[in-house]
Amino acid sequence: MAELDPVIHAQARLRIMATLATLDSDGSIAFPRLQELLDMTAGNLSTHLRKLEDAEYVSQEKSFRGRTPVTFVATTKSGRRAFEDYMEQLRTLLGGTA
Amino acid sequence: MTTPEVDDQPLDPAAMLALSREQQSKVNTSYARPMVYMLGSWAIAWGIGFLVLWSGVPETNSPVFVPQPAATIIFAALIIAASVTCAVLGIRMNRGIRGSSNYAGAVYGATWSIGSTAAAAIGVALLNAGLSSDLAGLFFPAIYSLVVGIIYLAGAAIWRDKGQLILGIWIIAVGSIAPFFGYPGNFLLMSILGGGGFAVGAIAIAVSLASTRKKVSRG
Repeated sequence: MAELDPVIHAQARLRIMATLATLDSDGSIAFPRLQELLDMTAGNLSTHLRKLEDAEYVSQEKSFRGRTPVTFVATTKSGRRAFEDYMEQLRTLLGGTA
Repeated sequence: MTTPEVDDQPLDPAAMLALSREQQSKVNTSYARPMVYMLGSWAIAWGIGFLVLWSGVPETNSPVFVPQPAATIIFAALIIAASVTCAVLGIRMNRGIRGSSNYAGAVYGATWSIGSTAAAAIGVALLNAGLSSDLAGLFFPAIYSLVVGIIYLAGAAIWRDKGQLILGIWIIAVGSIAPFFGYPGNFLLMSILGGGGFAVGAIAIAVSLASTRKKVSRG
């Protein structure tokens, strides 16, 4: 059995990936809304997003709503696949009954 | 809220699986909860609004008599309040979220205004052509129910939602059967079965949210 993906196998990053996986495949979510759904501090969320971005699992795009800058976060194709693989691995580890 | 040091750690596989499910159910709840308030506001608008309209017709022998002009104003105010509630909640539900389903959501939202404006325009044209107020009392609730029901069916198709499918069929059935009961009996039917249908829908979602929450917290 291969090791669980260490990038996703951490509570905060798993919750981030689980949330992003609920979006449309071409969808993205504004940083403040993501923060609200996760109940995480902005600093903490940024730290974990950076780690996920370094692994190329998420992409962050800065845009403007009027004059206010907003960052939109989305999973990349490989990120979505990595999350699905991770969940599959968990289910296999638990004997496929879960 | 956990600290960065703690939530950088993994848990055992079962707990991680539960954590992921719990988070996704939290996201789904953030979409489903406003639906309870939306359907609830229609339950109040139809339930009370049509009842007040019915009690405004002298020959109903309603225990409470509301003069017709006042009844019409109360009814209109309740419908407008419910429409505003839904528009605000609908926009809030999707705030900060982009994706291909945004287009479907925007068209769905606009369909409410397009459909109800068109229904009102047809009714006004018939009134101008000499439709009596008794017949107008049969026509307006029926065409409005048809519009509302078909929009719920569209919602069911877009979001593959069985709840909206059932509600859409129910509202269309109530709206098209009510005119057979004649004016003003149709108002009472719209109040009880139409308003009641929305109330049942709101309660069903609230109950399913509560049971999901229990399931998730049990792990």
